[in-house]
Amino acid sequence: MLDPTGIFDLPNTSLIFWEIITFLILLGLLYWFVYPPIRDQIQQRQRTIEQSIDEAEKTRKEARELLQEYREQIKEAREEGRQIREEARQEGEAQRERAKKDAREEADRIVARAREEIQRERESAVREVRQEVTGMVIQASEQILGRSIDRDEHGRLISDALDELEADVAAAGSRSGR
Amino acid sequence: MMGALAFMQVSQEELKKEILHTWETGRDWAIPIQIGPVDISINKAVWFMFFGAAVTFLLLFVGSRLLKSRPGAYQVIVEELYGFGRNQLAGQMTQEGQKFLPFTLSLFVFILVLNLIGLVPGAYPVTSNISFTLGLAAFAVITYNFVGIKRNGLGTYLKSLVPPGMPAKPIMVPFMFFVEGLQQFITQPLTLAMRLYANILAGHLIIFVFLGLILYFGALSVVPLLSVPMAVVFYAFEIFVAFIQAYIFAILTQVYIELAMNAGEDH
Repeated sequence: MLDPTGIFDLPNTSLIFWEIITFLILLGLLYWFVYPPIRDQIQQRQRTIEQSIDEAEKTRKEARELLQEYREQIKEAREEGRQIREEARQEGEAQRERAKKDAREEADRIVARAREEIQRERESAVREVRQEVTGMVIQASEQILGRSIDRDEHGRLISDALDELEADVAAAGSRSGR
Repeated sequence: MMGALAFMQVSQEELKKEILHTWETGRDWAIPIQIGPVDISINKAVWFMFFGAAVTFLLLFVGSRLLKSRPGAYQVIVEELYGFGRNQLAGQMTQEGQKFLPFTLSLFVFILVLNLIGLVPGAYPVTSNISFTLGLAAFAVITYNFVGIKRNGLGTYLKSLVPPGMPAKPIMVPFMFFVEGLQQFITQPLTLAMRLYANILAGHLIIFVFLGLILYFGALSVVPLLSVPMAVVFYAFEIFVAFIQAYIFAILTQVYIELAMNAGEDH
């Protein structure tokens, strides 16, 4: 021993000798029995993690596609709804138009019928009045003449006179602008 | 022993003995064995080296047998040690360097365990023994030169010591050969050994010196107020040094191996 304090312990043959043996044995033990399982474990975990990442990636992609699909579906549904609403609106409009038209026609018809009726009533009234007037005129003439007269002949004459009068009234009416 | 001395002041000679006590006991507890003139008795240093090797092996072996796919804290430590070796130690230059991961990782864990065991009071710090670190450096130097020669052939390997394109060839080539050869075969292993040895030794000495000041100036002086905190600080720092020196030794060995591996290509 060069140095009795042991700080510069050279050469410590026993330590070097046992060191070589110990380290070689340690190296062999670690190399054969320790590192392979650790390495396998780490590699396996790495594989698992990579797999998980791949799977997650795939799932995310699927989810994104699904979302896209749903979005499209919603868009389509919305479009369809809009279309249906539009159609319904048009339908309603048409219905209303038709109903309005029907009502107008109905009203026109009623008015026309009423007008016809009135016309007919008036004509019958006029006819009655003329008969009455003719009768009264004939009666009056018989009383004045003191004898019976030919009712048919006179009736026709009176009717002609009345026609004339009527025509005059009508002419006067149209002239005065009603 | 220190406890008994704590309240009395000691002479410088006694103080020196107290400080160097750890290393003086390196050859105690001996089982004497002799091979011819060579002493290979199993002494305190060897016992602690055995203990460190056993701890290194058990630490990693138990860890490698308890592997589960959902790791606990212990498994994480073991796996991180291995992963650290794979990412930070081996394959710095070429992927092929990974082949030497078992060697350098074992070096790292072995040195680290011995460093940490050496920090336990009363233990013998094996890595502060120059014989031990020189032995480890011998492993390194033999390994990387063997790899270099095997990979490149002896001629190419030796030729690679001299950088190409030297001026004044007749003088410079032998000179460079000498200098680079010296570095490759002597300086590198020597610095490996000295660095580890000196760092661990100095760390322990600093702690002992700070504590020794108490013996010299007496426990009732103001010195303990300063030297105890300083010793604690350096103790903590030594834990850091234990890691960093183990790492430096291992990574330098790995780098030397990979350099030797690629010697033929670089030059």
